[in-house]
Amino acid sequence: MSKPDRLGASFRDPSGFLFTRDGRLYRQVNHLYAAEYDRLMTSGLYDRLVKAGMLIPHREVDLPPAEPDLAYKVIQPESVRFISYPYEWSFDQLKDAALTTLTLQRRALKAGMSLKDASAYNIQFFEGRPVLIDTLSFETYREGLPWVAYRQFCQHFLAPLALMTHRDVRLGQLLRIYIDGVPLDLASRLLPWRTRFNLGLFTHIHVHAAVQARFADRPIERPKAQAGMSRQAMLGLLNSLETTVRGLKWKPAQTEWGRYYEMTNYSDAAFEHKKRLVAEWAGKLEPKLVWDLGANTGVFSRQAAGAGAYVVAFDIDPLAVAQNYRQVKEAGEKNILPLMLDLTNPSPSLGWDNRERDSLAERGPADLVLALALVHHLAISNNVPLPQLADFFAGIGRWLIIEFVPKSDSQVQKLLRSREDIFPHYTREGFEQSFGRRFKIHAAVQICESERMLYLMERL
Amino acid sequence: MFVFVAGLIDKSPYLDPGSGSFLLQLLIAGIAGLGVFIGAQWGKIKALLTGKKVTKEDEDDETKDE
Repeated sequence: MSKPDRLGASFRDPSGFLFTRDGRLYRQVNHLYAAEYDRLMTSGLYDRLVKAGMLIPHREVDLPPAEPDLAYKVIQPESVRFISYPYEWSFDQLKDAALTTLTLQRRALKAGMSLKDASAYNIQFFEGRPVLIDTLSFETYREGLPWVAYRQFCQHFLAPLALMTHRDVRLGQLLRIYIDGVPLDLASRLLPWRTRFNLGLFTHIHVHAAVQARFADRPIERPKAQAGMSRQAMLGLLNSLETTVRGLKWKPAQTEWGRYYEMTNYSDAAFEHKKRLVAEWAGKLEPKLVWDLGANTGVFSRQAAGAGAYVVAFDIDPLAVAQNYRQVKEAGEKNILPLMLDLTNPSPSLGWDNRERDSLAERGPADLVLALALVHHLAISNNVPLPQLADFFAGIGRWLIIEFVPKSDSQVQKLLRSREDIFPHYTREGFEQSFGRRFKIHAAVQICESERMLYLMERL
Repeated sequence: MFVFVAGLIDKSPYLDPGSGSFLLQLLIAGIAGLGVFIGAQWGKIKALLTGKKVTKEDEDDETKDE
């Protein structure tokens, strides 16, 4: 048995921590948290939440703890196939995670417990739905006390959702800068003045920010007569937060929806040919984890998912990711996770010691990477030389299905229209030579009715 | 007579709830609680008028949560 390895993100809460041993993930429950853990398990709350698909299931295991002096129990949570972060979620994913958090708190209250944190990072997408992965987030509810996690909920969920709705959907990226959520004074300054007429946003963002500033670093005195916050008041607060969150809707121009594949320049036959090849190759390889880079709305992701893989479908376009997530929800798909990602600047390692949130590469490698209609964007729009592209792909996955779009293609012509062609090596030969250094090319097929090539490669 | 809000916490949470955030909740507690109270009463009145019994599910809103 190998030495336990404590996870870099798991240090804030003294209730316990995550560690890996022999490649498996475990959570140590500390003595400090014993009573709360037992309450979660015996009150029926755990069973109800797991049954409702809102809490990650776990089992208690008889394994040596990572820190025996502190240990009460060791539990093994069911594994989440791919850890994603709120700055990679579409608007609706963040909104669903927010609503799940509020529902968890409401259900916890019914069982005499309360969430002691409301971090968006405690929510992961598991079988297509947002679930709480931190089993140690519950504490005994003490009537009279306000919600300890209220501020965190507003920073992690409400503020970014409000900014995405009322200012610009790209402001969700502020979560990447502010590890503990968007500061409320910043949200208040960035939100349009009219949001003060929205009772929920006025209260939970604008007034909240003002009160925070007023009482920063000051203990608050208040009349004893008003002491305490009743259970009813807590439920009222949760209702108010829920109404506010539900009222936030990102409305992209309707005309843009569903037009992705109408905007392509190749025929139905070419499209079907490409789908068939992806399904056939993925079927042969039987990959467990597939990363579809530049997945758009996930048409090809679904070909790979059909072969039994868990597919993370990345795209830079919030609209495409939103549409993909909508499909996942509507069809109840359990093995596709749509995420937002700018490949020219992928998610970095973040947080304390740069170890709290993993970079994209640290969450790999994938068994199979799909890079369809992508290379020209990276090589021409972002000027990445082909050998460096090959290095990148070799670093993130074993198998690669990649499409080469030649210069003669109208999509590439479009990219070159407004700039000088400084890409003499961007040719089929140049591509094969560059990728041939890092990969063994198993198949190269010209997509019918097009000049595009589809390759199946294996890392050397 | 005055007390410190911080004194309300007999066991420190690992998160700093923020003085302002605590105070704001206490300020809106009354209003929010009143809303829930009125909502509950209204439900009962409606049930009385329509003759429809308030079921267990209505009281605990697990169905609403789904």
